[in-house]
Parts: sequence; C-alpha cells; structure tokens
Amino acid sequence: MLGLYLSAVVAITMVHDLGALAATLAGVLALAGREALRLLRRALLTVALFNGVVTATYLALAAVDGRVSWYYVGLINLRVVLLTTLTFLAAARIDPFRALAFSPTLTYLLSLASSQALALRRTFEDFRLALRSRSPTPPGLRDRYRHSAAAASYLIQKALADAGETAYTLRSRGFFDD
Amino acid sequence: MISLQGVSVRYGSEGEALREVSFAADPGERLLLLGANGSGKSTLLKVLNGLVAPTVGVYRYRGEPITPARLRDRTLARRFRSEVVLLFQNPDAMLFNPTVYEEIAFGLRRTGVKDLDARVRRWAASLRVDHLLGRAPFRLSGGEKQRVCLAALLALEPELLLLDEPAASLDPRTTGWLVDFLADLRVTTVVTTHNLSLAPELGERAVVLSQDHRVLYDGPLGRFLADQELLLAANLAHAHRHRHGDLEHRHFHVHDWD
Repeated sequence: MLGLYLSAVVAITMVHDLGALAATLAGVLALAGREALRLLRRALLTVALFNGVVTATYLALAAVDGRVSWYYVGLINLRVVLLTTLTFLAAARIDPFRALAFSPTLTYLLSLASSQALALRRTFEDFRLALRSRSPTPPGLRDRYRHSAAAASYLIQKALADAGETAYTLRSRGFFDD
Repeated sequence: MISLQGVSVRYGSEGEALREVSFAADPGERLLLLGANGSGKSTLLKVLNGLVAPTVGVYRYRGEPITPARLRDRTLARRFRSEVVLLFQNPDAMLFNPTVYEEIAFGLRRTGVKDLDARVRRWAASLRVDHLLGRAPFRLSGGEKQRVCLAALLALEPELLLLDEPAASLDPRTTGWLVDFLADLRVTTVVTTHNLSLAPELGERAVVLSQDHRVLYDGPLGRFLADQELLLAANLAHAHRHRHGDLEHRHFHVHDWD
C-alpha cells in the first residue's frame, strides 16, 4: 500500500494534463467512498493558503511579462489538491508501522517520531485549553496571535530539546556506528 | 458548590480517562485529588473547569449543569470562567503576553473590572512577582512562571481554584512557600498531587482515583494514608526488599514521585 502511494505521488508529479489530474482526483474521491466530501473539504482548507500565495505570486509575475496562462494556474492548483487529498486518504488507510516492518531501523525511527508527535500534540492541546480557560470572554485577534506565537515558540524549543535527547539515545544505542 | 454524577470521559483513540466518577464539594473545602500517573486526575480538573465535557454523566457548578452548549451562553461563560480557574501543570501553556503585567491583567480586561491596575499590583505583590511586572514571562524561572500564573488567576478573585500538580516542578524552597500561601487563601480549592508527603498540607479530604479511572476512596485524608491496602490499590505505595548489612527484609513504602 505504501509503495502504491509513493508510486502514485511520483506519477502525479509527472503528469501535465489537466483532464488526467481531474480524472485522478475523481478516482481518489471515489476510493474514499462516503468520506469523499469531508476529505476534499479538508484538503481544500489545508492547501488554501499555500495555493493562494503561489497563484497570486505567479499571476503577479506573469502579468508583468504579459503572459498569463490560466491552464498553468489550474494545473498547479489541481496537482496540489490531488496530492494532498491522496496523502490524507493514504494516511487514513496505511498503518505506517506495518508498512515499515521490513526495516527495524525505520520502525525505530518511526516510533521515536510518533512518540514526539504525540507529546507535542498533548502540549499544544494544553496551550489551547489554557487560553480558553483564562478567557472569560472570547479572546481577540491580537490575543490569539500572541498565543499562537507563544505556543509555536515553545513547541519549537521543546522539539529541538527533545530531538537533542533523541540523538543521544540513538548514539547511546549504537545507531550511528561510532 | 460542585457535584459530579456518574461522569465518564472517553478520548477517541486513547480510551477511557474517567469512569463513573461521582463526588461533591462544598464552598470553602480543600479537596485533594490523589491517584497514580494516568489515573485521570488532570482530566477531572479539566472537566471541573468546563474544558472537557463528560461523555456520560453530569457536572454541576452551583447547581447549574456545565456543558459545551451552556458555555456558549456568553453571560454564563463569563461568570464561570471568572469564578472557576485552573492552574495547569505546565505554566508555560498559560503564558503568552509580552509582560508579566499584561499576563496578570489579561483576564481582568475581559471582565471589565474598574480597579484593574490596583488588582494587578496587589496580586503581583502577594505572589512576590511585583519586581517582575515589566519582564517577559517566558524569560522567567519555573517557580516565577508558576507564581505569575497564580497571580493572573487569583486577580480574578475566583470562587474555585483548581491546581494541577502545583509543586511538581518546584524546588523545595518554592514548594514550602506555595504550601504556606495556599494555606492562607480563603477560596475553595481542588488540588491534584501524587506527592503523599505534601498532601496533608494541601487538603483535608481526599478523592482517590484508581488506575482504572474510578473513585477508589472519598473521605478524610488521614484515614486513606493510614490504610495500607488502599494505598497499594491506588498504586501510591509499594513493597520492596531492603538490605541492612546481612539482613534482608521486605516492607511497605510510600514514595514521592516528583
């Protein structure tokens, strides 16, 4: 399943036909079954900012040259939506531990990454709940911005510190052969 | 003041965090929530703070059921969030303002109190952080952050103070100060801890959670601490071998797990 997903990602990046990409997206959504609409909505929300920035930048640069290609705009946007939709579908269907069971090293790395991700998710959840707990009325935009910045800064520092510790444990267990 | 009836909480993939928990607390009580790691103490505090909704059962504050739907009522939410406050175990999760002054003033601004500046300075002085008012909270030590968080919560002059392992990351001197400070507070408190030597200083009545997330005991703390069977059942004590020279024997132990 993992191999199939990776092959599909490579194939999608090599296709430059709008119709083929649209047909593939329809196929991916068909595979999702009853979850199709929710999957598409989640993918669109995820890529909205990225696609918006890329499209606006392209249009600005192309307008200066006087050569705007709407076909190209459609192609890059659809490709990103398709890849994201496919990734969400694969993430829901693939058990990464089973997929990487052939390699003890990769399984070990996946375990470390998963435990770190879980710890960071719990910390982030505490930040979110703390803001709600401390706000007798809903926080304003400025407060939300400050809170997000504080949470991001804390999580980055924590991730870096944890990564340092992880590197020590890997070295201690002979992972680097030194 | 608060009551829980048959409260269970289930987190999607992580399973059950609380099972059929029932107890009540009166105004002015100093209640201890005891239990081993993972027994559900923090989740229970989040239920009491209206942050986590029971999957089954009812939580009432001053007789009113507290549910996500009811907390969408801004009047209720504003009153509840001013009267019931929670000190998180990790103070970093609570701090996001550019200065300590702004941190303490944050909740007050949202309640529209008239004496904001006086309250900020009064509680900063009470918590011994008045010399830090212009500093950035994230640059403070762990103990200072804890005190700033407490000042921010107490400035709201709450009715119910929830404390999640308040001494877990404090050095012995700051822990001693905190115990004295809490003893002088005239507010209903619910404190979680698994530090049994500290417990008698923090409350008189204990609600003990078992490792299967149920209430194992609810009653006077002294009786719980004297009951070896209960302590072992709650995984707050254990027996292990000791060597004294050539003599080896096995006996019961209570450890602090900080």
